[in-house]
Amino acid sequence: MTAEKSTSAPLALDRADARVKHEAGLSGAVRAFLDRVRSGDLGSLPVIVGLVVIWTVFTSLNPVFVSSSNLVNLLFDCSTVGVIALGIVCVLMVGEIDLSVGSISGFASAMVGTLWVNQGWPVALAIIAALAFGALIGSLYALLFNRLGMPSFVSTLAGLLAVLGMQLYILGSTGSINLPYGSALVDFGQLMVMPKWVSHTLAAIPGLALLISGLRTFARRRAANLSAPSVTGLILRVVIITVGLELIVAYLNQSRGIPWMFGLFVGLVVAMNYALTRTKWGRSMTAVGGNREAARRAGIKVRAIYLSAFALCSLFAALGGVLAAARLASASQQAGTGDVNLNAIAAAVIGGTSLFGGRGSAYSALLGIIVIQSIASGLTLLDLSSSLRYMITGAVLAIAVIVDSLARRSRASHGRA
Amino acid sequence: MSESPERSASIGELVLSLRGISKNFGAVSALTDIDFDVHAGEVVALVGDNGAGKSTLVKILAGVHQPSSGTIDFRGRAVTLPDPRAALTLGIATVFQDLALCENLDVVANIFLGNELSPLRLDEVAMEMRAWTLLNELSARIPSVREAVASLSGGQRQTVAIARSLLLEPKLILLDEPTAALGVAQTAEVLNLIDRVRARGLGVVMISHNMEDVRAVADRIVVLRLGRNNGVFEPDASNQDLVSAITGASNNAVSRRAERLRMERDHSGNAQAGEQRP
Ligand SMILES: Nc1ncnc2c1ncn2[C@@H]1O[C@H](COP(=O)(O)OP(=O)(O)O)[C@@H](O)[C@H]1O
Ligand SMILES: [Mg+2]
Repeated sequence: MTAEKSTSAPLALDRADARVKHEAGLSGAVRAFLDRVRSGDLGSLPVIVGLVVIWTVFTSLNPVFVSSSNLVNLLFDCSTVGVIALGIVCVLMVGEIDLSVGSISGFASAMVGTLWVNQGWPVALAIIAALAFGALIGSLYALLFNRLGMPSFVSTLAGLLAVLGMQLYILGSTGSINLPYGSALVDFGQLMVMPKWVSHTLAAIPGLALLISGLRTFARRRAANLSAPSVTGLILRVVIITVGLELIVAYLNQSRGIPWMFGLFVGLVVAMNYALTRTKWGRSMTAVGGNREAARRAGIKVRAIYLSAFALCSLFAALGGVLAAARLASASQQAGTGDVNLNAIAAAVIGGTSLFGGRGSAYSALLGIIVIQSIASGLTLLDLSSSLRYMITGAVLAIAVIVDSLARRSRASHGRA
Repeated sequence: MSESPERSASIGELVLSLRGISKNFGAVSALTDIDFDVHAGEVVALVGDNGAGKSTLVKILAGVHQPSSGTIDFRGRAVTLPDPRAALTLGIATVFQDLALCENLDVVANIFLGNELSPLRLDEVAMEMRAWTLLNELSARIPSVREAVASLSGGQRQTVAIARSLLLEPKLILLDEPTAALGVAQTAEVLNLIDRVRARGLGVVMISHNMEDVRAVADRIVVLRLGRNNGVFEPDASNQDLVSAITGASNNAVSRRAERLRMERDHSGNAQAGEQRP
């Protein structure tokens, strides 16, 4: 590292160009945000707006919707498909797709049912076997993609059928396996919630982490003669996040409280967010999704990146399947079929991960699945059939893709990738 | 870029030596039997008409394409360059004609792509600082290194690509039309930089269509024509010589010399036409 300070430079290193407007302070931050939005760099803004609309509509139709007990159920339901959507984020980041996540989740639940209940394996071992199987399937897709140039659209479509066949095959004679009530796995999927003090403590952590890392970055940037963002803005964000989270937790704690399963899901989202934004691997994922050939020429092992993306995706799919089995206390032929596949993909896209690769965030899985489950839960409360649910979810997905495409075009014309 | 205290190679030592390199794309012979040498502390200009195979040669050296036949010696050892990573590891840095940047990543991320500091906990502050140091050396006019590359102009992107090639302290730098999109001041800055890089004992290969730029920095001018070697010139060679080697007005050195002498005698006005070529 060469730390040669530019001699007698009164300006910060990154503020020397006089032609560039640099917004200062809080109002500047707001204006910069509005500029970004106007040029099509929407981030998670559309999904948050959409969520507010959906919640307002459903609450006005049936106030039970926002009751804390309904919301706690919502969180239980979010966690299973949400974990699958997190995997979808990984493949979308590199500009690929996995259409077989539903089948993989169904097969994983069948595997846990068969190995654990029928064969008498220890439950942990059965789960590990199911996860390993998931990672294996993803590695196979990556192999077909890397070595034979097979489009992931095709290989995973084939996988959708093949793995579904395997699921039906191993469930064959019985058709469905009930997981024992009272077992740790089923309790985890249906009952276990955090004690109040745990959830309140956990809700304080994001703000605290943001504060500490923000202050550290501030000090380091100042020491490095780089401009630093305003501390007031940082503190404001910390306060908003912490107060918001604590209020949500307090509200949910009026009923059963935060499910541990949802805690696991959020933990995975946070971990993936860190991996995607703060590690070399995540940088490489984004680069491969943005410009594969440029990534290769920069020395990135592109094939290994694709392998990690596909393997992670089906690993998450398998984990989602295990959680779904726990939630339903059964492993059936229906597990993972129907709308699981598309809900997972829709969640990632609705949450703001681009179908075109190179843009996205782990948080889109969280936000997107909350949107989808909100629709499902709201319509169930209104006693509407699943036919309507499919239509509405389909419409929301279409809107999300339209927003994605329009934002992409706008970014191109405003000179943002 | 910091002046490294130890010279990477003693000036004059052979850094790169190609023998009999050929490259076929299907039925197209992009390169045929190319010999090419670069010494430490030397700037070799690679010139030739469009489609002469210059970029193909650079891509072979960058590990992007593999030669159909021929040998590559780098710093005295026979090497193969199966992928770009191999070339980068050896110390061959390349600025590609199409720049090869990721538009969805910001400037810092592009400069450090594949070489991020502290892989498990990216050190953004250190990377940003180093990026500014590199860019300032190129007198870059980049508004913000935290904007996506998509928001930059062609010249700014070219500067980013050049900055990236300097990051790893390479032994050999390949520049494929590095000044094509640059303004006057920036072109001068890049030529200055090439001078400085040469003084530090690196080998430089520069492709350019601008004979003025070529003459300003090159120690040797290698001409490719239709994928074959077509002469090596000193930078003080006459424009007419160069142009006829590039365009193939004559096909071998002897007839070329004879032709030149004849041309100089007969119509000295022809030289003007050559000078006007960009
Ligand atoms: N990837 C490729 N596939 C097929 N032909 C190619 C490819 N790259 C270059 N060529 C051909 O090789 C020849 C040399 O091209 P190139 O090296 O780009 O020329 P230059 O850079 O000197 O203008 C051209 O005829 C071009 O059509
Ligand atoms: Mg070229």
